[in-house]
Amino acid sequence: MAVREKKVRKYKDSDEKITARSLITPFVFSLPFMIGLLIFTVYPFIRAVLLSFMEDYRFLSGKFSGYGLGNYTAIFSDPNFINALKSTTKYVLIVVPTSLVISILVAVGLNNVKKLQGLFQTAYFLPMVTSATAVGMIFRWLYDYDYGLFNYFIGFLGIDKIHWLADVKYTMASICIYGIWSMLPFTIILLLAGLQNIDPIYYTAARADGAKSKDIFFNITIPLLAPTIILTSIVNVMSAFKVYDSLFVLYGAKPGPAFNLYTVIYYLYDQFWNKNKLGYAAASAMILFVIIALFTLLQNLITRKTNYYN
Amino acid sequence: MKVTIKDLTKKFASRDKTGEMVTAVDTLSAEFESGKLIALLGPSGCGKSTMLNMLSGILPVTSGKIYFDDVDVTDLSPDKREVGLVFQNYALYPHMTVLENICFPLKIKKVPKAERIEKAVEIAKMVHIEDYLKRLPKELSGGQQQRVAIARALVKKPKLLLLDEPLSNLDAKLRVEMREEIRRIQRESGVTTVFVTHDQEEATSISDYILLMKLGVMQQFSATREIYNNPGNLFVADFIGNPTINQIHGTYTADGIKADGCDELIPCAIKANEGDRVVFAVRPEAVIFENEKNTVNATVNDLYSSGKDWLVNFMIGDTDLRGYCDADFNVSEGSKIKVGFKEKGAFLFNEATGERY
Ligand SMILES: Nc1ncnc2c1ncn2[C@@H]1O[C@H](COP(=O)(O)OP(=O)(O)O)[C@@H](O)[C@H]1O
Ligand SMILES: [Mg+2]
Repeated sequence: MAVREKKVRKYKDSDEKITARSLITPFVFSLPFMIGLLIFTVYPFIRAVLLSFMEDYRFLSGKFSGYGLGNYTAIFSDPNFINALKSTTKYVLIVVPTSLVISILVAVGLNNVKKLQGLFQTAYFLPMVTSATAVGMIFRWLYDYDYGLFNYFIGFLGIDKIHWLADVKYTMASICIYGIWSMLPFTIILLLAGLQNIDPIYYTAARADGAKSKDIFFNITIPLLAPTIILTSIVNVMSAFKVYDSLFVLYGAKPGPAFNLYTVIYYLYDQFWNKNKLGYAAASAMILFVIIALFTLLQNLITRKTNYYN
Repeated sequence: MKVTIKDLTKKFASRDKTGEMVTAVDTLSAEFESGKLIALLGPSGCGKSTMLNMLSGILPVTSGKIYFDDVDVTDLSPDKREVGLVFQNYALYPHMTVLENICFPLKIKKVPKAERIEKAVEIAKMVHIEDYLKRLPKELSGGQQQRVAIARALVKKPKLLLLDEPLSNLDAKLRVEMREEIRRIQRESGVTTVFVTHDQEEATSISDYILLMKLGVMQQFSATREIYNNPGNLFVADFIGNPTINQIHGTYTADGIKADGCDELIPCAIKANEGDRVVFAVRPEAVIFENEKNTVNATVNDLYSSGKDWLVNFMIGDTDLRGYCDADFNVSEGSKIKVGFKEKGAFLFNEATGERY
């Protein structure tokens, strides 16, 4: 009896009482990471929150006139910030759904042709590992008026050539195409993982129930993939709201060819580095933070609803 | 609907990448009478599921033909075959409620919504699941999920119902209950049914006919009682029946069987060739414990109570055997007794080929 009790205790160590002593080891192990987190995430975050409320903050002296909502009222009356919010939202609404639809089709295709998966893995990983500078060069060439591939293709469709990067009318289109392209690999990989988690028995059952490929796609694949679809779209919404790299890559760190397309992060960068308005930069960061926090909440609510298994 | 299978064969490229072909079903021919329940029985890996999936159309055949009521359906896709399929793990769509699951085959057929709900509820009542229509599969017990799976398979009024080991995920008590339910549902709906199982007891308790397979080859296809009373070969005799049939290995002589490790000759009415190596197989209930002629000396090993009788474990020579005796038969462990064998329930097989004499 005594022996048996000993054994039982051995397997139940997760139930052990938490004491100050038992916490030392995990604490020591996590300390380096904790310190990093404090210095590089928590502290800057608190500083940024405070900064966004400091009025007339001077970077060099560190002096400011007092706490208040001045920075917020200022950026909301700045047409560039409003432009940035609008363009960013529009960008999110175009890029996220489009890349999602393309990714679902590609992922379902890849999931069906097991043999080609190895080849495609390289192909769709490429955008993820290619440096932004190289990608920028490729895209600038793709968008080239005379020799670019995009104009070559629309030439086939009988459409006139477009000044992709020079014409302000096409700034949004250009950064959206770039955005969709760069979003694909991550999205496809996540969706493919989600698809591989679907038990193929449901497809067999549906076939036996008389379903054709189209019925299976809409009635089985999409609903069972829904948790992954929701997860990826929320992650993509959050990352799309933070768009600014395309402006650097395509327009050489300018917000569009004629300073016509600000994004929230670009606005933040501009206020910080070029205009030295640290308070404005912090306030715009806070606005973005609230938007993204709302999406995180939304994600939590929806994922709970799509738990079909236990 | 009558189902006719002719020389049905399925070969797979072997899973271990040797490039060899595995014959999962080997030139199998049979005819399933309309409205009957046929059990497809055999040890695991003998090709039962493969056979079922070819009947449903999920799996293309390698060669051979399948006819439904004399119509060749060999190359038809599942949706054109009017079959209902039930899986071992039920395979209910996890994102659909019970009602939606049952309605799904009708939805695919574009049956109007009101009509499909009406039909689904009707079937749900038949399988006694009507109180759970709004639940998700994860909120049901195994037995309830099984009922839903059967309802989903039946709702489109299939001409053929196919069940692939439908009970093996249930606990013992529920398994007995559900097999009676399946029997009832099959009788009520009158649909020709093929029921796959590796459990001979399940097969004998539920079916009208049993098709017994081994390594893709059909061993016997006959009425359930017939396969027990009249096994075609040693494998069949051994596979069907619980406790399993007694097997005495020995050499045939005209005066009886010279059992291995035993000096006496065991009397046997069945004829074979002098000197053949044979297996004399006797059902436990065909063993008689008596003191008259035609008896062989035996030693009692063990006794188990099985309700009104005793199950006696005894030895003849080196061979372990079992039989039933009355509770008032006075024996105990180590007793020397005499046993005989009834003609009904005793069979003689060739030791090498397993063929019956
Ligand atoms: N898709 C497949 N690829 C290769 N071999 C298979 C495949 N399906 C079944 N087999 C083989 O065919 C044989 C019969 O399998 P199966 O019909 O599932 O047996 P059962 O249902 O009687 O247990 C087994 O040897 C199995 O390994
Ligand atoms: Mg099987």
